[in-house]
Amino acid sequence: MKAKIQVVICRCCSEVPALLNTDRLAMLATDADMVVSVKSVDAVCDGKDLAGVMGEAKEKEVDRAVVLACHKRDVAPALLRAYKRAGVNEFMIKLVNLREEVVLPHQAQPERAQAKAEAMLRAALVRSVMLQPRERQTEEMRTNNVVIIGAGVSGQAAARAAAKAGAHTVILEKTGKTMKAPGVILPHSQLIGAKGWTGNYTLTIRVGEKVEELEAAAIIVATGGGWTELKGPLAKAVKDAVPLYKLHERMENNDLPKGPVVVVDTPDPAGKTLKVQDYAWDDTLETVIELKKRAPSTEAYVVFQEMRAFGLNELAYKEAADIGIRFIRYDKAGAPKVDPKAPAKLAVKDFAQGEVLSIPFGTLVFASIPPNKDNEGIADALRIPMAFDGGIRRGSIQRGPVETVRPGIYVCGSALFPKSRELAEREGEMAGSMAGEFVKTGRTSYGGSVAEVEQEKCSACLTCVRTCPYEAPFIGRASKAEIRTELCQGCGICVGICPSKAIELHHYTDDQIMGEARSLLGGDF
Amino acid sequence: MADRKPKVIGFVCERHGMEAAVLSARSGKQHDASVRLVEVPCTGRVDGIHLLKAFEDGADAVFVFGCLEKNCYYDTGSIEGRKRVGYVKQMLEEAGIEKERLEMFNAASSNAWMFPKAVEKMVEVAKKLGPIEKGGDGQ
Amino acid sequence: MIVAKRKPLAEIVEMVRPYKKVTVVGCRSCVAICLAGGEKEVKMLVSALRLRAKKDGRKQEFEGFVVERQCEKEWVKEVEEKLLDSDLTLSMACSLGAQTIGDMYPSHLTFPGLNTGMFGVPEEQGVWSEKCVGCGNCIIHTTGGICPIARCAKSMLNGPCGGSANRKCEVNLEVDCAWAAIYDRLKLQNRLDLIEPITPAKDWSTSHAGGRRTYVREDAKLTPHQKKGKEALK
Repeated sequence: MKAKIQVVICRCCSEVPALLNTDRLAMLATDADMVVSVKSVDAVCDGKDLAGVMGEAKEKEVDRAVVLACHKRDVAPALLRAYKRAGVNEFMIKLVNLREEVVLPHQAQPERAQAKAEAMLRAALVRSVMLQPRERQTEEMRTNNVVIIGAGVSGQAAARAAAKAGAHTVILEKTGKTMKAPGVILPHSQLIGAKGWTGNYTLTIRVGEKVEELEAAAIIVATGGGWTELKGPLAKAVKDAVPLYKLHERMENNDLPKGPVVVVDTPDPAGKTLKVQDYAWDDTLETVIELKKRAPSTEAYVVFQEMRAFGLNELAYKEAADIGIRFIRYDKAGAPKVDPKAPAKLAVKDFAQGEVLSIPFGTLVFASIPPNKDNEGIADALRIPMAFDGGIRRGSIQRGPVETVRPGIYVCGSALFPKSRELAEREGEMAGSMAGEFVKTGRTSYGGSVAEVEQEKCSACLTCVRTCPYEAPFIGRASKAEIRTELCQGCGICVGICPSKAIELHHYTDDQIMGEARSLLGGDF
Repeated sequence: MADRKPKVIGFVCERHGMEAAVLSARSGKQHDASVRLVEVPCTGRVDGIHLLKAFEDGADAVFVFGCLEKNCYYDTGSIEGRKRVGYVKQMLEEAGIEKERLEMFNAASSNAWMFPKAVEKMVEVAKKLGPIEKGGDGQ
Repeated sequence: MIVAKRKPLAEIVEMVRPYKKVTVVGCRSCVAICLAGGEKEVKMLVSALRLRAKKDGRKQEFEGFVVERQCEKEWVKEVEEKLLDSDLTLSMACSLGAQTIGDMYPSHLTFPGLNTGMFGVPEEQGVWSEKCVGCGNCIIHTTGGICPIARCAKSMLNGPCGGSANRKCEVNLEVDCAWAAIYDRLKLQNRLDLIEPITPAKDWSTSHAGGRRTYVREDAKLTPHQKKGKEALK
């Protein structure tokens, strides 16, 4: 069946015609093969203009469209919805960004801009003919459960926020500690395994001695995490450095440290493996101030790169200075060092004075919160990657600052990277709120522009299985690769890497990409 | 040969890559019209075949433009993109074709200057080296 | 599996230079898996060769495709027409594939595009290492599952040699001493008793040193009666 293309040329309220000859574009479109409708409008984002376009689309029974307008992210939502109502599948719309790709950046080159716009129109038509309709699948969420792993500060905050959004929260806490939180709290419980996908996970959990299954629409990892050891060059010279949380523990048992006490603001002052984290400040100040108050004769130094207490906690700087805690600032070039031959002295270059100070110490403390060795097992069960320092890896900041690589699985607090209690709480709120709002929709969708394996061509080389960030490919029946549509995010990494060209990405096939590129490269620039 | 303009094509990811290009345009930054773009979901989608075919189809220079590696929307996509570009550059060099004709760039969506910088660099390469075929315009 | 590597492109360019029409044929088996000669590598090579011809101002035609397994006559036969409609076939399979085509069409030129290297395992994605040299008489049950013929630089049967230090081979400090690994493995398995008796000198007659090998399963062979009419297996 022959394609019926509608071409829409948006003038962007006269911005486009100021540089380009849009009449000529319309003429080229009209003369093109398979184009049955050409509409030039002032603003495709304006309801009235849009209605006119859709009216003709329905009348001419178009099955696909090429829209020359502005940035896809701005114009697509309303446009695709309107076309859907007019009976055109969302994957049959090809958007061309004339505004930001041609008009705005080529103000001084009108002829070349025109040639480029015409080439983009031609290439879009070539691509359009190759497009195929695709359907997204929608699945009902079986439950509105948000399962939170960890009942610490961020876990509790997440539960409150998710419950506020209407979700039913279930907290898995590995210890027997009790706390006030909405929903169900399962003490002595741990995550063992997980199956399924966003919106419909089936978790295997151990509660006490029993092993049970638990449905989850969304999962929040709030297990906490920190460091137990110094890193970098300092670690070689000082073997008995104490992490701050351990110092705090010992002080609670009246085991005060041998002075002088030097607190370093990060497990890795030379900065090769870790950056200074903001958690360092609140907990550090609190602990050192308490130490100094209980043992006023103990000399206490705090050696730091950047001071970043959270909000009103900055008042602690003054209190600390008043009771005689000394602060020494350094930068990377003057990072604290300990000579293995003189192990009881910390050498650090004072940033203000420019002098290297030599501080004798009895106890070297480094800012750190308690670690969580369970993160590895949980990451394994949920099939999500870890960060290099033992935390859970975050998906890109753009995707969601509290989301893991897998959509629908969130992470907050120190499970991401060590942070202060207040920040952990805020992040918990964020994750809980995002999870709750997502679960409120009651639906999850997948499919559309996803990858698919042509089994006859597959060499079962395992490359796609090893490379996909979402573990969507697996070796299935017939010992060939298959892609789990529910997990596929449509990135195409597996498609670009398959040595036997057995995988195709719908809506971005090789033919479509290369066809468009070839058309763009044709003719003069 | 008459005044043949340089031909540069870029494969740009629809996440940080395209956002950065759009931001640069909206910030008023100008760049040479010798470039045309193909949008891909992720630079990890880019296949070595696409890059080589682009040269076959007449490109003087080709670039790939994606998310920063530590912040790729699809986690490891731009890392893959970089590897593909690296492999094809090596092939080009082995085949006796200037590997400078192909390059990878990364940017965050908030970076308005990286895209015009990438275009400028590749247009310069295209002008300097000319078309691949023998006897092309080149200095 | 068989692990091969593409020949340096400069070498291939020179190899195919005199031929007007070249078919490049890869394979979906081992060489696809070790990323040397699958459909993707074939298509990229064809593109690169076309670009080079374009640059040199030389008129040359290149076509590329793959077969399921290039060492099987039936699959090669399927693409016979395409193969022979050229001045040269460049095989991107292992040498077995290249030779199969050569044997089937002896008057047609078939050149190897890959250097066939070894029997290797993927240590991790993108890294293949040799673990077997096909000596024809496997003794790894006596060495804790680690082959000293392949993994020891001197193929010793009673190692380690005097040059082994810090569990590394004297030939290359990056390479683990196979016999240190064998020792550790046998210790783990509580079978250190195996390491003491002297293993006699190896009978290499089962390896390639004894001549080109042919393995036969008489019960699998087709009798003349069965073969009749099957032209493909001439």
